[in-house]
Amino acid sequence: MAKKKQWYKLDNAGVLYSALQREEYSAVYRFSAMMTEIVAPAALQNAVDAVMPRFPGFAMRIRRGLFWYYFEPNTAPGPFLKPDVADPCQPVRFHENGGWLVRFYYYQNRISFEAFHALADGVGALTFFRTLLAEYLRQTGVAVPTGEGVMDLSEPPRREELEDAYVRYAGPAARRLPLVKRAYSNRGQAEPFYTFHVTMGFVPVDKLREKAHSYQVSVTEYLAAALLWVLAEKQRRENYHRMRPVMLAVPVNLRPWFPSETLRNFLVTVQPGFDPALGKYSFGEVAAQVRHYMKLHTAPQEMQAQITRNVRYQSNPVLQLIPQVLKNPIVAHNYRTRGVRPFSATFTNPGAFTVPEAMRPHIRHMEVVLGQATVPRPHVASISYGNIMEITVAGTQVDADTERELFRFLVQEGLPVRVESNRTGTKRRV
Amino acid sequence: MPYCVHCGVELDPAVKTCPLCGTAVNDPAARPPEDRPPFFPTRRAEVAPVPRKAVSLLITSMLASVSVCCALLNLVLKPQYQWYLFVVGAAAMLWVWFVLPLLVNRWVPVWVRLTVDVGAVAVYVALIALAMDGWGWFRGLAVPILALAAVVVCALGWLLRRGHSMLTTVTLSLAAVGVFCAGIEACGDLYFYGAWSPGWSLIMLASCVGLCIPLLVVRRVPSLREEVRRRFHF
Repeated sequence: MAKKKQWYKLDNAGVLYSALQREEYSAVYRFSAMMTEIVAPAALQNAVDAVMPRFPGFAMRIRRGLFWYYFEPNTAPGPFLKPDVADPCQPVRFHENGGWLVRFYYYQNRISFEAFHALADGVGALTFFRTLLAEYLRQTGVAVPTGEGVMDLSEPPRREELEDAYVRYAGPAARRLPLVKRAYSNRGQAEPFYTFHVTMGFVPVDKLREKAHSYQVSVTEYLAAALLWVLAEKQRRENYHRMRPVMLAVPVNLRPWFPSETLRNFLVTVQPGFDPALGKYSFGEVAAQVRHYMKLHTAPQEMQAQITRNVRYQSNPVLQLIPQVLKNPIVAHNYRTRGVRPFSATFTNPGAFTVPEAMRPHIRHMEVVLGQATVPRPHVASISYGNIMEITVAGTQVDADTERELFRFLVQEGLPVRVESNRTGTKRRV
Repeated sequence: MPYCVHCGVELDPAVKTCPLCGTAVNDPAARPPEDRPPFFPTRRAEVAPVPRKAVSLLITSMLASVSVCCALLNLVLKPQYQWYLFVVGAAAMLWVWFVLPLLVNRWVPVWVRLTVDVGAVAVYVALIALAMDGWGWFRGLAVPILALAAVVVCALGWLLRRGHSMLTTVTLSLAAVGVFCAGIEACGDLYFYGAWSPGWSLIMLASCVGLCIPLLVVRRVPSLREEVRRRFHF
């Protein structure tokens, strides 16, 4: 008798990203590790081959069903390591590249890993990446023990790592996060086909933390407030007749409140921001507003109600019966009204990347990049390793206004910033 | 390490201009650049857009197959009428409008392009006249109207050749619509009655002029112009 084909349901974040995926939008994110030595491609390919079977959640291909997309284990050869490219996080095409939804690149000292967001969130991807880096270092002769976030490759994958934690924690009450209808859009003119600008700023973590504490906020809240501040000033300079609220989409990892070992998506988005039309705010007031908002809206009850709402949306019997080709425009419209218009930018900070002691001397810094948004505007992401905080502003817009103003603001705050960018020929703008 | 004098950020020693503001990096104490690879890779990996020739080939084959099929069908279906000429004419007109610009790589003056486009319409109308044996109305009515359309469209294209503001574009387009309407009625009257007796076209012309005057006032008064720009975000 033929063996029954395995398949997996997408979680509700996966449903969204799969329905939205197209050539002008990329739900792909990238983590990179800048090593102290030049990368050995053969050792890295061996490490990829060794790590992939331990993480079946990343070895999937996406299939189009009549009513929903679904995952099935990918048996195609690969994934294969490639030399890195100038424009990262290119949109994923479900039928190309052997159907792989993860990509691996190397360039000089940099190892990069890209994943389609339907597979996993930042926490899951960083667990995978940490294990990959550990295995790579082992292949190059460094003794790296398991533990401290490095998974044991000899043990079989656990079921808990593949669970849909949204379904597990769906509660009795369902609520939507209250959102403003339309925020300042921060749109620019789009670059031609696949020109993706990435600008990275490197800031010492100790100085950044000291500065954040001077406003009595955390580093994440400080950076979110800095971004809100520069977006509000940008809107003011653009001389809008009617000032709109400036709002950020900030993903929140749910695992600290709802214990789960899942490596799949398990996050909700909150919306800190302020309305510059109400009057002049000082930066301290914006920072306080962000802090209080984050504290208020990361109450487990409220987040559970949000999870429940999303899970019920997916299990809605009417929506279930609509064929997938008709469902995609509905999901896309919903995303436009609930995921694009109420926000000015996305800001994500997966936090500090920690590794076992044996790995530390071999990694210089970490990098994170979010793929292109549905509209030409930048996404901002940050990650710290050791004493280096890396902040990435990435998007397809021609102008470099957001990144310029953000890094200038940090410099004005007294923080030393080193900038690297793949932009060439930025127009002179003083 | 070089710094941008405007942004205050530290820059890569290899960069010539600040990636944030484009200001040139001038560091008199800078040592000659080391031969080291750039921070980011430079290899582009995008999928190349479809070549224009391939697109033109695809559209041409579609139009040609439709034309040939209709011509063959005309042999058995109502062969007493040459109705396939309507389809062939439409295909030829669409080919001139959409495929010709894809095949011409050189810069072509706007009046040439517009005249060719109106010429394609003229050929289509001529084929209809041929099919319906209507050379009389073609010469007396269609040719003058098409000539007028060519003149108006070319004049408008020439006036807007340098990419004027939205206000100017709308004003001139409205004026062109008014003139064209008056011309159509004049051609019709002359063909049917032998004399021009202005009627509906005068109402159209007056409406267009009535809309153009306030737009001109807004265009000329800076405070009004800025207010409109702010309100409509252009």
